[in-house]
Amino acid sequence: MLEELSYILIVVVLALNSLIAIYGIVYRRSLVKKLISLTILSDTVFIAVILAGFYFTHPLIPPVYEDLGGGNIDYMVKHASDPLPQALVLTGIVIGLATNALIAFGIIQSYRLTGTTDAKKIIEILSRSGVEE
Amino acid sequence: MNTRILVLILLVVSALSVSIAASLLLDIPVPRGLKELAVYYVSNTIRDTGSPEAVAAIVWDYRGLDTIYETLVLYLAIVGGLAIFRVTLKTITKTPIGLTLFSKTSTKIISLLIATISAAITFHGHLTPGGGFPGGSALAVAAMLIIPVFSMYALLEKGVTSTKLVALRGFALTAIGLVALLPVVRGLEIVTNQKFYPTQILGIPVGGSISLYNIFESIAVASGFIAIALYLSIPEEAYKTGESSA
Repeated sequence: MLEELSYILIVVVLALNSLIAIYGIVYRRSLVKKLISLTILSDTVFIAVILAGFYFTHPLIPPVYEDLGGGNIDYMVKHASDPLPQALVLTGIVIGLATNALIAFGIIQSYRLTGTTDAKKIIEILSRSGVEE
Repeated sequence: MNTRILVLILLVVSALSVSIAASLLLDIPVPRGLKELAVYYVSNTIRDTGSPEAVAAIVWDYRGLDTIYETLVLYLAIVGGLAIFRVTLKTITKTPIGLTLFSKTSTKIISLLIATISAAITFHGHLTPGGGFPGGSALAVAAMLIIPVFSMYALLEKGVTSTKLVALRGFALTAIGLVALLPVVRGLEIVTNQKFYPTQILGIPVGGSISLYNIFESIAVASGFIAIALYLSIPEEAYKTGESSA
């Protein structure tokens, strides 16, 4: 009962979190706030992926053997968490950081060129100076 | 402001009520065992890859080619960022001032500790949780701590310029590519691990190519992020007056 409740609560909270993030990406006019919403969305997705590798057992241990002999395979299969989502998220976080930095560079550059981070004003300024949207 | 608090309370209450209702009314099955693929990975990681850590085994062996392409994405993202900021490299124009002596000394101690931990995360990446990505990110944190406390110009004076960092990054990526390509010489598949690289060197478990990948990946990640931090801390005046020193 309590296990079901906690699991469903996490799923519902993740769904709400991604809705808030999508709201921020679509409706906020400031590019910086769009970037913050994007990071919230990507972190939500990472937690959802990690949740896909979670299951109820006690104790839940990391998928790491204590020695190279590897004699306790049965115990590991019953108690180790799923290593695949962790591996995907591990690389995903670093790649996400790099792409976020690229977006931040773009935002700073557009601020330098137009003097604002407001998406609508940037389009206005660019169209006034003869650049197509 | 009040509407925001109301919306927040509404969200919390609705999340709680929806999940309580769903857990009471619907019979939703929760996961109680490992998935089949994960059972394979957990059971065979030592035999297949020589690494007792299943995450590192997946990152650099089972799905090694994926990770190499992801490294390429990382490289292109950082190169793209630096290309947008395209600044000329000139000599240092300012003397570093930085914060007080107290914060400088404590930062020196903390950065040394961070660098040590990052090395431990990297070199033990095939045995304990960690590896190249977290190790490199931890090292970049040390540089990001040094930049506000000592100022960016202190790093530049010590010779840590973004040109050198990008060169170091190129070296690390070339090394990763070589480690991935070397087995092809012997007619094996690309990103082969156990058939080509030794599991142990002088009795020390190295997990075949996994430790090599971890070391080069940490260099690549750390140098890339330190270069980004340097570029992002170039003062705005440098762009307005047309001179900069990164």
